[in-house]
Amino acid sequence: MKYCLSVLVVVASLLLASCGGGAAPVATQASASTQPSASGAPVQITYMEWGDPAELDVWNAIVADFEKANPNIKVDVQVSDWDSYWTKLKTLLAANTPPDVFAMDAPLFLDYKTRGVLLNLQPYIDKNPGMLDGLYPNTLTAYQSPDGYFGLPRDFQTIVVFYNKDMFDKAGVAYPKSDWTYDDLRATAKALTKDTNGDGKIDQFGYVIDPWDFEPGMSEIIWAYGGDLINADHTKTLIGDPKSRQAFQFLHDMMFVDKSIPDPNTSQQYGTDLFLSGNAAMIAMGHWAVPGYSEAKFKWDVVQMPKGPAGQATSVNSAGFVVGKDSKHPEEAFEFIKFVESAAGQTRLAQMGFACPVLKSVAESDAFLKQSTPINQKIFTDSLAFAHMKPVFRGYDEWSSTVGDGLTPMWNGDVELNPTLDSIVTSADEVLAKNK
Amino acid sequence: MDFGLKPLGRERLWLWIMLAPTLVGLVFGALGSVLATVALSFTHWDLLTPPTWAGADNYINLFTNAAYFKALTNTFTFSAMYVPGVVIASLFVAVLMNRKIHGVSAFRTIYFLPAVTSAVATALIWNLIYGRDTGILNFFLSRLGLPAVCWLCTKNAMMSVVVVNIWGAIGEGMIIFLAGLTAIPREYYEAATIDGAGEMQRFFSITLPLVTPSIFFQTLISTINAFQAYDYIYMMTRQGGGDSSIPVVVFSIYRNAWNFFNYGGASAQAIELAVLVITLMAFYFWLERRYVIYE
Amino acid sequence: MGKSAQKLILDVISYTILIAGAVIMVGPFLWMVATSFKLPADQFTHTLIPNPATLENFRNLFSFDLNFPRLFLISTGIALMSVVGQLFTCAMAAFCFAVVKFRGRNLLFTLLLVTLMVPDQVTLIPNFIIFRWLHLVGTSVPLWLPAFWGGAFGTFLLRQYFLTLPRELVDAARVDGASLWDIFWRIYLPLGKPALAALSIFTFQGAWNDLLHPLVYMPNVPNTTLTVGLAFFQTQLTQGGRYTVLMAGALLSILPLIIVFFFAQKLFVEGIALSGMKR
Repeated sequence: MKYCLSVLVVVASLLLASCGGGAAPVATQASASTQPSASGAPVQITYMEWGDPAELDVWNAIVADFEKANPNIKVDVQVSDWDSYWTKLKTLLAANTPPDVFAMDAPLFLDYKTRGVLLNLQPYIDKNPGMLDGLYPNTLTAYQSPDGYFGLPRDFQTIVVFYNKDMFDKAGVAYPKSDWTYDDLRATAKALTKDTNGDGKIDQFGYVIDPWDFEPGMSEIIWAYGGDLINADHTKTLIGDPKSRQAFQFLHDMMFVDKSIPDPNTSQQYGTDLFLSGNAAMIAMGHWAVPGYSEAKFKWDVVQMPKGPAGQATSVNSAGFVVGKDSKHPEEAFEFIKFVESAAGQTRLAQMGFACPVLKSVAESDAFLKQSTPINQKIFTDSLAFAHMKPVFRGYDEWSSTVGDGLTPMWNGDVELNPTLDSIVTSADEVLAKNK
Repeated sequence: MDFGLKPLGRERLWLWIMLAPTLVGLVFGALGSVLATVALSFTHWDLLTPPTWAGADNYINLFTNAAYFKALTNTFTFSAMYVPGVVIASLFVAVLMNRKIHGVSAFRTIYFLPAVTSAVATALIWNLIYGRDTGILNFFLSRLGLPAVCWLCTKNAMMSVVVVNIWGAIGEGMIIFLAGLTAIPREYYEAATIDGAGEMQRFFSITLPLVTPSIFFQTLISTINAFQAYDYIYMMTRQGGGDSSIPVVVFSIYRNAWNFFNYGGASAQAIELAVLVITLMAFYFWLERRYVIYE
Repeated sequence: MGKSAQKLILDVISYTILIAGAVIMVGPFLWMVATSFKLPADQFTHTLIPNPATLENFRNLFSFDLNFPRLFLISTGIALMSVVGQLFTCAMAAFCFAVVKFRGRNLLFTLLLVTLMVPDQVTLIPNFIIFRWLHLVGTSVPLWLPAFWGGAFGTFLLRQYFLTLPRELVDAARVDGASLWDIFWRIYLPLGKPALAALSIFTFQGAWNDLLHPLVYMPNVPNTTLTVGLAFFQTQLTQGGRYTVLMAGALLSILPLIIVFFFAQKLFVEGIALSGMKR
């Protein structure tokens, strides 16, 4: 046994030596930013974001272009999955070693800004007049504040309805038109809800929404009915108001009366995405799903969200850039942001396919409109005309979790709609009060 | 338990050398972190700005927080079902394997597999088994003419998830008991056989009493695991990005710490959970004094 | 009823239960293996034999920016170091708690157990701040160094086992003039092999599967552990419906665990013989 043990130790040490050596040059974010910039040696900045592994190649290409144009700056790109990203980010911020540039989800922006960890970008924007002119105004609002911009949008998402053309063809149903209403949606969904293998259980559903997160499916219909999620100064939750309630009732009926929207217990059996797995004819979804859906074996396209009694409505949200307040290289960080906001950077991002470019000129160019997936990309940008912003306020995460968790028993059929909404509004308002 | 060698002279030094790493770890590592957590539980901290003193606010909030109370109840219910289940099941399996079984190596490895099977694969398979419309269990029920059961609906979710957790933990429990069973000297069994004792009798009069140290260990560790269990639970009952239909405390701790900018509150919840487990532990130690037989 | 009849019945029952149980235990694993050899189109079929079978998923795994071999090696190194650290330090401490009488023994042991009660996510930040201060973030050190500080789980496990070993051994050794260290090194460690094997399995598994700590201490993909790398690709693979590649990755990543288990479990030798010991 002693022999085995010593072999073990030797092997382990060797292995560790190999990975320990690799670790040293990478170093920590903090020590990376303490390199001198005056002597002409390149300044190293870190850019952290959440995303797909497929994005790494594109970001490396963007960084290569950027470094060619700015030879004295080196960018270290770090991509992680959504959950890991926020854990890492908060750990770094808690230890006072923020990344230089990092990605921000617009609704969470104020949680970070109001806690003073973000750099005010206004002075840098002022030095670059006209920089923001070509960007869509809807996407900028989230990052504005009385003392200036503390962040800038990187790309945006609007929610549209994706539909499975093959399923429509098979059932002989006409494709949705761009000015369709929720009643049209309901009828179409009903016609496409079927039991395809004759075992007595429905396995093809007409329409899918996310029962927890407002963005894909719930907020759009609430706005289309004239209701709202929250009031303008973020002190009252409005999902229990009469018009919002009507919107919920509509979805509730589709789920429990028509059975055209699957309830969570049912949809769980079909994996994480019923549209992709071929179990749903339509889904409310954002542009981030496009690359994944392009692998689908069926033909599909997109159409605007339907009209409700108060008009057409959809949700717009953006991912943005922010700079850590304690970053040691704010000028270089801003140069990187400026590059990605420019046509060169935005074009590459558009080609990546996960989101829509915030620079109008690129969004209207072939780089975005003609991509490998042959769908009507313009719908996403056209939807901006009637898009409401996904709410941005301090305490968003806790508020949306309270509301989402509150809705779960209702969607599961355990609790009735009206008492559910009543109790949610009370708990959600408490969260808002806590975060004032 | 008074048994022990008294160290002689210079051996005292050896004693402290052998304990040194653990002591260092206690002070700077584990215990230090626990004390830090206790300290943080009396603050409001959002991770981004310096902590501010909160007094007992976080603890008082726990009493009025209905969601936390529900999570706590679920955690207790889960543990009450899980701990006896896993201890008995893994002891049973280990005892079976200890009886000159052909191919015991293969059996042991197979029973260990759930512990290493990827959580995603596990969730997928059990969803396949428990699915209301498409599931294997309901398929068999329908063949027997019985109505389908919604295994993962809120009503039955707890029980279904306990089964999955026990399934996943049998392998590890089995290892503990297999190791413990080896410490029972063969001579005892031989003497009992000579005296005419049958197998069942040998089990109850020799095996069971002498495996109580492992039972004690397994019960305590399983209890701690039960209070901190959440991955299988959430893989099977989580709705979208939110909470499970049977929320548990650990998830609440995680969300408060990392999503709700409420690290102080999360620490308070963690400490409260720890206190409850420590109370249970005291009870287990009392049981140990009365029932556990060391040789 | 004769003894042999009773034995036969018990044998039949044992085998039946063990085999039935084995089917349930191994089912998901078999599905995992089968899926990793299936074509993506077949990923949700209920068959256990892929037809046609393909190695495409494994090839895909290595073609990603995942850098599978490097992540694998790093994970292995960390796990092995953890095992070494735990075996040494927990064994020494467990010996002291089980065999040596000293003041404050029970109190210290209780304190040790208390540390098991607080979940990792909460102790992460204080630990991170310490390691940042030591400039060790970005290296693998924070992931295996704590293994050399002992640990409640390992010490508890070994202590229970050591307590079951006969006390006559100690007395006899003392009579022969053995020192404390001798008794530990020459008697308790060798006799403790089953429990040490068990602890190795658990430690290796814990270190290998850990996601939270490598995420924070080794955040960059080529220079991190396998679990972090796979987690990163998991979202893409599950939402893109690429379960076959995901299962291939999962399969490769648990192979070391199974190998470690297979070797360690040979040490679960039946019984210890006291014959030869003077009573």
